[in-house]
Amino acid sequence: MGGRGGGGGRKARNFATFRLFPRAGAADPNDRVFVRVDNNDYTVPGFADEDSFDSSLSDPSAGDGNFHSASGPLPEHVRREILELGLPDDGYNYLSHLRELRPAAAAASSFVPSSTARPEPLPLDVKAYDASRVRVGPSDGELDEGKTMCKVAAKTAPVRRIEKAVDPDVARLLDESDVSHVGSEDEGLEEDFVIIANRAEGEELEEEDIEEMEEWNGVLSDVEEEFDFEEDEPKPRVRRLLDEQFDLLALEEYGDSDDDDRVVKDGEYELPSEAIDELKLFQSQNVCVDEEYRTPADFVRQKQDSSTADDVDESARVIKKCAEYAERYLNESAEEEVVVLVSESSEESEIWDCETIVSTFSNLDNHPGKIETPGIPRKRLPRVFPGETTTTNDIIKLHGKEKLPVEYLPQRRRNGEKKKVKPVEASVTDKFKKGAENETKEEKKARKAAVKEEKKEARKAKKELKGLYKSETQKAQKVAAVTGPSSIRLI
Amino acid sequence: MAAADVAYAPPMKSGKAGFEAGLMDPQHRIRITLSSRSVKNLEKVCGDLVKGAKGKDLKIKGPIRMPTKVLHITTRKSPCGEGTNTWDRFEMRIHKRVIDLISTPDVVKQITSITIEPGVEVEVTISDP
Repeated sequence: MGGRGGGGGRKARNFATFRLFPRAGAADPNDRVFVRVDNNDYTVPGFADEDSFDSSLSDPSAGDGNFHSASGPLPEHVRREILELGLPDDGYNYLSHLRELRPAAAAASSFVPSSTARPEPLPLDVKAYDASRVRVGPSDGELDEGKTMCKVAAKTAPVRRIEKAVDPDVARLLDESDVSHVGSEDEGLEEDFVIIANRAEGEELEEEDIEEMEEWNGVLSDVEEEFDFEEDEPKPRVRRLLDEQFDLLALEEYGDSDDDDRVVKDGEYELPSEAIDELKLFQSQNVCVDEEYRTPADFVRQKQDSSTADDVDESARVIKKCAEYAERYLNESAEEEVVVLVSESSEESEIWDCETIVSTFSNLDNHPGKIETPGIPRKRLPRVFPGETTTTNDIIKLHGKEKLPVEYLPQRRRNGEKKKVKPVEASVTDKFKKGAENETKEEKKARKAAVKEEKKEARKAKKELKGLYKSETQKAQKVAAVTGPSSIRLI
Repeated sequence: MAAADVAYAPPMKSGKAGFEAGLMDPQHRIRITLSSRSVKNLEKVCGDLVKGAKGKDLKIKGPIRMPTKVLHITTRKSPCGEGTNTWDRFEMRIHKRVIDLISTPDVVKQITSITIEPGVEVEVTISDP
């Protein structure tokens, strides 16, 4: 094949190349498929072509779905499966995106509670005690707090390791509860158990029911409101402070006079007197959520006349008052007015005058130089341009150690230099006058080359020097950064 | 005759193949290219393939080892430009083996259904004999 040079006729491409890839969505990494990777026309009947067909057929859902999904609706069994999985039924075959779980992964994914794990530690303001040894004695009337506390304290022991107490019975019940709780309405509570309980109270043993109801009242007093009031009022129930407050509130709100029960009877709960006072204050403030918005002024006025038709009167009153003011304004005489003029006495202006303040800038930030008369403006560009001198003077003078054309440098007004330049000029011009015409080009080249060399050498030297003292410069920069103004850059 | 051939001289497998050409018609030239970054896995897979093919008495041209391709990446070690100019030299070695067979595609599929080590790429090219 070396004989064919570049770009000769191609050989007939009658071969097929396949590559082994792991099957998409397969659990087993060894489940591989041959996939064709070239575009030749050559077909191998016994190879990857069949393979792909096999895979599609063996997958029951994808058999028809793969080919028809683009055209019509999905076959029924496919749709059912999709719906079962909770995927939307929009004509797309989501089953092609499913992935099999690896058997190993499935086994690993089941939860095994670890034996070495520690449960969550208690919050800092909670302490745990082991009270398994405390004997709960029979509840006589004498619940002397001090004694019971001693008994309890004596028997409890502090606990270091906190474990979640799992009673086997409890666990069993918990497991069962999820399953069997759905249809057990007989055992569960009805929705109107409160009403039933209230109704049944008057008939049966009052004591026990009262105690039960006590606990529900605090929570469900507002719930009770929603029920019909035509049912019996909870009269046999022991009245509490809250009940009284509620009645007071209701009275104020609705104006009904329900003077049925004014019997104040303390219940089992006795609030401290400060709390009672607070509550009374709160209630007397009458802060309530009404159907309409009320401003505080409304509340103030409401105490006097509790009618909701005040709004119209209000506006009328306001208009009247406006009219009154207007009249007063027109009618009053000027002398009665006392105009108070407030003059701004800017005291600062008395202390400071323009001579004392030079600048609001402080010397800490700025380092003003000594003020001088402006010097002679120094220009960077040479006044004498090369174009001019060639006509006047064919010779360019090089002076100094570095052999630079002094006239083309930025002018420096130094009297000493001027004197030097002139006599030197004279001697140099004498020398060069002879071969001026012939050697201009070479001289120019030589001169320029010389200048270049000098500059090159100078640059090299500078770089060397810079590198030599780099560390020193860095240190100096650090110091300057701290002390001096930030504009100083040494590196 | 065919049996004697097989027993005596393994290199004479071509004769056997010719004999049985009537049974399995489409004999193709098959080239299996294995490439990997790790030599150990590659050699293992290679050996398994060759063994499998020899077990089925196919004409096989044993693993031809292509020159290893070494891909280099040379980078500065430093994330900034400061410091001594040290360089990292990274390389990736790709090993390639080629196995030529003459057989039917089904047989090849069987052979390649062996457990292949991870990291070994298998490419099969089928052509007319």
